[in-house]
Amino acid sequence: MDSTENFRQFRRQSKKGILVIYLNLIYKALKAFWLLLIIFIQKFSNISETTIFYIYLGVGGVLLFFLIRAYLIFKNFQFKIENQHFILKKGIFKKTSISIPFDRIQNINFKQNIIQQLINVHEVNIETAGSSKAEISIKALSFKAASALKNAVAIDEYTRGVENKETTKPLLKVGFKALMKVSLTENHLQSLVLLFAILVGFYQQITEISGGLGKEGILDSYIFKNNAALESSVFLIVGLLLLLTVIAVISSVVRVLLRHFNLRVYLKDNALEIYQGLLTKKSIVLKKDKVQHITISHNPIKKKLGISFITFKQAISGKVKKKQDKIIKIVGCKKEQIAVITDLLFPNENLEAKNKHFSNVYFKFRLYLRSIAFLGVLNVLLVVFQEGNLVFLGNLLLLPMVVFFVELKFKKRYYILNENVIVLNAGSIETHRTYLPFFKVQNIQLKQTILQAKREVVDVVFQTASGKIKIPCIAMVNAQEIYNYTLFKVETSLKSWM
Amino acid sequence: MTDFFQNNTVTSYPEITKTDFKAINNRYFKVIVIQIALVFIVLFIIAIFMNYKDHFELSEYSMWLYVLLSVAFIATLFLKIIGFKKRKYAVREKDISYKKGVFFRSLTTVPFNRIQHIEIDQGPIARYFGLVSLSVFTAGDSSDDLKVSGLLKEEAIQIKEFISTKIDG
Repeated sequence: MDSTENFRQFRRQSKKGILVIYLNLIYKALKAFWLLLIIFIQKFSNISETTIFYIYLGVGGVLLFFLIRAYLIFKNFQFKIENQHFILKKGIFKKTSISIPFDRIQNINFKQNIIQQLINVHEVNIETAGSSKAEISIKALSFKAASALKNAVAIDEYTRGVENKETTKPLLKVGFKALMKVSLTENHLQSLVLLFAILVGFYQQITEISGGLGKEGILDSYIFKNNAALESSVFLIVGLLLLLTVIAVISSVVRVLLRHFNLRVYLKDNALEIYQGLLTKKSIVLKKDKVQHITISHNPIKKKLGISFITFKQAISGKVKKKQDKIIKIVGCKKEQIAVITDLLFPNENLEAKNKHFSNVYFKFRLYLRSIAFLGVLNVLLVVFQEGNLVFLGNLLLLPMVVFFVELKFKKRYYILNENVIVLNAGSIETHRTYLPFFKVQNIQLKQTILQAKREVVDVVFQTASGKIKIPCIAMVNAQEIYNYTLFKVETSLKSWM
Repeated sequence: MTDFFQNNTVTSYPEITKTDFKAINNRYFKVIVIQIALVFIVLFIIAIFMNYKDHFELSEYSMWLYVLLSVAFIATLFLKIIGFKKRKYAVREKDISYKKGVFFRSLTTVPFNRIQHIEIDQGPIARYFGLVSLSVFTAGDSSDDLKVSGLLKEEAIQIKEFISTKIDG
């Protein structure tokens, strides 16, 4: 292979990169100051001409400064490949030099936002387990250079030979229609919460700035007024609920389309290649060995349609909150495709033939106990704030729901294991099935309250590099067996787990 | 290696229930008592100060406040006494374990080949008694790693070195 040849010497990214960096700088500035800009436009007529001249001058100066900065960033950004390490030099005043050994690289992603698509360059992100953001982000490379870099870095020696011939047929291709199916069957409540979180972010930004301008309280009083109106009318509440439902569905559709548009998954010997995205196109190479555990999920409607989604978990740094982008998800998988993927990651496991082990009845008891505690608090609140038959009505509605959910949760909680993998099934309305190979476990814990001790049941907690996995309330004997076996597997394993 | 570790050999299939766990150093109990005492002394001082200034006009309840604090002090002390005996650790050929708790029991084991680094640290009170804490860390999202408090300094260093050689070898 001669693809490494390009990277022997220090080289810069494509010259178009200056434009990408420049626009990125402007975008960041706009994102920070967009509210000031709106206020400025609103008051445009009130400002005298000389001031406007100075403002233009200032803006021009800032733009020029950004251009110079972008050029300098470009100029000082150099990278090369040297004996199995990726080496990067960057920084205008504060020089940084980064060197990453190939086997520490977790994934290499290509990204293309609208601008990068227009000028036909690719952003290459190289991620390791330790960092929250992409450790190395090369903003602009031609497709040829980008794939050459990927080939040089990502692919293990023994697959390098077969790499160049294009895999003709994707394992999975999700068209527009299938994607609509996926998005309409999403968890709309979750979409609504996500949207709400974004809006809260906006609200905070607005209050921060309007507070700074001495307009504190305007927004609050506005919202307060609306609240008062809201309480007065039942119709409004019903209308609002309908509106919220519509918004939730729309936001799920938009979210899924933006992220997963034209999703294609290719199967390579040791990796999965995932391409997706509408405005920002992304391509991800997922190395098989770097996957810690996977979860296959569906809900009743998705199950009827025969589609599920797979979530891949990789090692994350402890300080990072679970960021949405870091989680790699493939939506709209059919049964055969799931079989292929599980077979790639865990070959010849033949798990379906094994016995299901359910949690002890104590698990149900605990769920009821917790729900009753929750209901109790709710009742106290209702009694304090709203006497009358609302308490009775609320309980009448909530009690069957509690029973329904607890029974469902208990029914779906079980685990299956064989020599190498443990499979955990969980969920209430949605069903999640997690596959965890024993040797990926980093530490293992048995937890038991004194109530559990009396019944000789215990929670088993597996800690992996990508978070905790728990089996609640199983018999002590079984738990100890799993405990000992997991330790045995981890301690005798020579495979790299990260 | 010293004799200390050689009893704990691992068969091909280790069984945690048959492992001998060691209690932590008895002197650490004093450290715990002093720590709790310090916290409650501060609380008592605040209570006395509040009473003296009488900002909240609660003087008729002050008696109850002291009683409440005393009960809390005794209860905490009692819990720590029964909890102390449950704090136990074990170092085996290939892993380290720690168990604790009366009402909320837990047993954690970290295999050596998953350990990223080991830390020994020492608070001011523990230093007076010559005791240290040993923490092991694993990679990634490892909020629940293992920490053994109340080890003799020499012992902790021994364990640390033992683990280090195991990791490198």
